[in-house]
Amino acid sequence: MNKLTIYIDDKQFQAEPGKSILEVCREHDIEILTMCHLKGVNDVGACRLCLVEIEGMSKLLSACTTKITANMVIHTKTERIKKYQRITTELFFAERNHVCAVCVANGTCELQDLGYKVGMDHIRYPFLFPKCEVDTSHPWYVMDQNRCIMCTRCVRVCNEVEGAHNWDVKNRGYQVRIISDFDTPWGESITCTSCGKCLQACPTGALWPKAIVQGQMKKNPEIIDELMERRKMIL
Amino acid sequence: MNRQDLKTIIYAEKAKVENNKYKHKIGVCCGAGCISSGSEEVLKKLQEEVTTRGLDHDVEIIPTGCMGPCNQGPLMKYLPDHTIYQKVDCSNIAAIVQSQIIDKKPIEHLLLFADTREKPFRDAREDPFFKSQLKIVLRNCGQLNPERIEDFLVHDGYQALDKTLCEMSPEDVIAEIKHSRLRGRGGAGYPTGLKWETVYKYVNDQKYVICNGDEGDPGAFMDRSVLEGNPHRVLEGMAIAGYAIGATKGYAYIRGEYPLAIKRFETAIKQARKMGLLGTDILGSNFSFDVEVRIGAGAFVCGEETALIASIEGKRGTPRPRPPFPAEFGLWGKPTLINNVETFASISPIIINGGEWYSEIGTPKSAGTKVFALAGKINYSGLIEVPMGTSLREIVFDIGGGMQGGGEFKAAQTGGPSGGCIPAGHLDVKMDYEALTNLGSIMGSGGLIIMDQTSDMVDVARFFMEFCMDESCGKCLPCRVGTKMMCDLLQKICDNRATQIDLDRLEELAIYVKETSLCGLGGSAPNPLLSTLRHFRNEYQNRLIRHEQKDQIEVPSNIQV
Ligand SMILES: Cc1cc2nc3c(=O)[nH]c(=O)nc-3n(C[C@H](O)[C@H](O)[C@H](O)COP(=O)(O)O)c2cc1C
Ligand code: SF4
Ligand code: SF4
Ligand code: SF4
Ligand code: FES
Ligand code: FES
Repeated sequence: MNKLTIYIDDKQFQAEPGKSILEVCREHDIEILTMCHLKGVNDVGACRLCLVEIEGMSKLLSACTTKITANMVIHTKTERIKKYQRITTELFFAERNHVCAVCVANGTCELQDLGYKVGMDHIRYPFLFPKCEVDTSHPWYVMDQNRCIMCTRCVRVCNEVEGAHNWDVKNRGYQVRIISDFDTPWGESITCTSCGKCLQACPTGALWPKAIVQGQMKKNPEIIDELMERRKMIL
Repeated sequence: MNRQDLKTIIYAEKAKVENNKYKHKIGVCCGAGCISSGSEEVLKKLQEEVTTRGLDHDVEIIPTGCMGPCNQGPLMKYLPDHTIYQKVDCSNIAAIVQSQIIDKKPIEHLLLFADTREKPFRDAREDPFFKSQLKIVLRNCGQLNPERIEDFLVHDGYQALDKTLCEMSPEDVIAEIKHSRLRGRGGAGYPTGLKWETVYKYVNDQKYVICNGDEGDPGAFMDRSVLEGNPHRVLEGMAIAGYAIGATKGYAYIRGEYPLAIKRFETAIKQARKMGLLGTDILGSNFSFDVEVRIGAGAFVCGEETALIASIEGKRGTPRPRPPFPAEFGLWGKPTLINNVETFASISPIIINGGEWYSEIGTPKSAGTKVFALAGKINYSGLIEVPMGTSLREIVFDIGGGMQGGGEFKAAQTGGPSGGCIPAGHLDVKMDYEALTNLGSIMGSGGLIIMDQTSDMVDVARFFMEFCMDESCGKCLPCRVGTKMMCDLLQKICDNRATQIDLDRLEELAIYVKETSLCGLGGSAPNPLLSTLRHFRNEYQNRLIRHEQKDQIEVPSNIQV
């Protein structure tokens, strides 16, 4: 297949057509911050962290959902992009209740890592502190809406990988929430197979197993992609 | 039915009209505005009155679509003379019938605008309200019974479809639309011909046409009036589009809040199918096309094309990133053409009169006419259609009859929650896509709200921001959280609790949300804020707590300082 020439941050690269900007950047260790992207499931372009500037385009485009085209000139680290990454991060923290010190995911949380990466030392926006539910009805797992950032990775993993479609989204705007089945307690779900994949996919401390305590969570989101790769081999 | 059969039906209908068995024809406006002021009662009462007087064989009464000056309703029109009576209520129907039908002279003090004009016009077309307008899309609205296909046929209905199928190739149709320079009326103003050509070029055994009748902007009722007043015109435009791009199936997505539009559109589909104007081998050609209605649940975001497609597919109505555009990957992954109601309603006049004719109306970059829903602090509000490039002053003072109660014009809001404000200094702006964008507003779908000196611009911005916050689909972070933060900050300014720091933060957030949101809802949500900041910054500034005032701030007694 003919490779395409593209330019990322003033360097020239050759890449196969059909790849996303994000894939090419990751292959060459060019850092792109992401949150809703999860290798192994479809991209939705929801968190807007991976936005890049493309010459000749007035809009910023999400690297995870945009396919490369010949002679694309991409900038990933402009002042504007960095500023927006910082605002996005702050808004994530301000939206719900992220109290790392008492969170199971402390130390293994992608949101926490993001805060460090963008150098967030304080948050300039008022915390919204919504009243959120914690669903402990499942025999083994917990869903804590307070830590959810609405990346919908759990929704896609459960639907596309496990094929159970337990999770979905309800409401609109800042009132959106992840729901189990038709908004019933997780423990009563007739679709959940208790496979545990969503726990691995979740970037934060929103989904976790009951058996652990604060800071004890071990996460391995890469497992989803490994699983998909192995399935391809079998098929 | 073939071409000849259609001609026969039209001749028969025209002959019926010419040797009219009725001597008189009266239309009662049954558009949304007039219905809400009681026109259905009027229609019933009028029928009774005519029956009691034994005039059933002389007078034909028809319910029509919106006639235009909606705030003067219920309206009743003596069709042969274009004499319109305003604010008709059941008590003066007897008098009108007596004087208009029996004595053959109108009642002056009940005529349209009789209470505000020195001398009202007997022929309403002479009135500045109508004289300054040019009706292409709305031409037959308010003239015909939208529930009778025969009425539409008499007014050259389906002639354009007949012409395309019998005389034009799909390429010809696309060339004609391109030549007309028609731009999409759904908001963004994308060239229609170009869009059709793009979809045409994608090779696929299945393509779709979608008519966007979601119309979610608060205060807008253009599409609704067209769907209710002349549904066949939209249907005809969709069929022509189907022929041009090679689609056999169309969907009309209409919001559930418009039950009358849905009913009339469905009636239109049934009638067209029965006459063979939809279905297989239309008019003896080998072109087949059918249309189905899909009802939306009234979410603003479902007007966005990718969310609308998701909604038709039965999924949650949330947008997805583009590219790929629907032209390539649309409904069920197939190439899909999506246009606005008004865009489709503009197609048949272009086919009949030619692209050249259309392109000469309006301004060099924005051809044709635009329908506006005119509202606010002006004397006459309602549904109007003017050539692109008509000045705002003409709309406000000639058509709108000037400011209510002699108030002072302060600003015009265009484009609803995605648009902005035009201040008094720009009253002479020639309204077209470019001019409005240059002023920091947008044409949008055609909402036009006129405000006087009593309007508080910060509150206007806060109102629209709250709307966008509620209507955000919640998928992407900047729009979901950003609109909430901005709304809170605007509330803080309205409550005189904000400082310069808040205002700076608000401005930074506005640009951030505009540039980073996934779809046009978030992308344009900051527009009302940014445009009022541009033209009325002092109103924001005057509300801020200044540093030297800090000692005067009242601290609640339960707080220790
Ligand atoms: C939030 C949002 C709401 C929209 N609502 C409508 C609508 O109600 N009606 C409409 O025709 N287009 C609406 N649009 C524009 C459509 O996405 C699309 O551009 C349009 O239907 C294309 O038709 P046109 O080319 O004829 O304008 C909306 C866009 C956005 C971003
Ligand atoms: S445990 Fe498995 S089946 Fe249950 S919700 Fe999570 S991903 Fe879906
Ligand atoms: S629960 Fe976790 S994976 Fe699911 S949307 Fe929330 S943060 Fe994302
Ligand atoms: S911009 Fe708003 S409406 Fe559009 S996808 Fe994002 S959250 Fe949804
Ligand atoms: S990672 Fe691309 S938008 Fe979230
Ligand atoms: S609804 Fe009657 S004039 Fe508009």
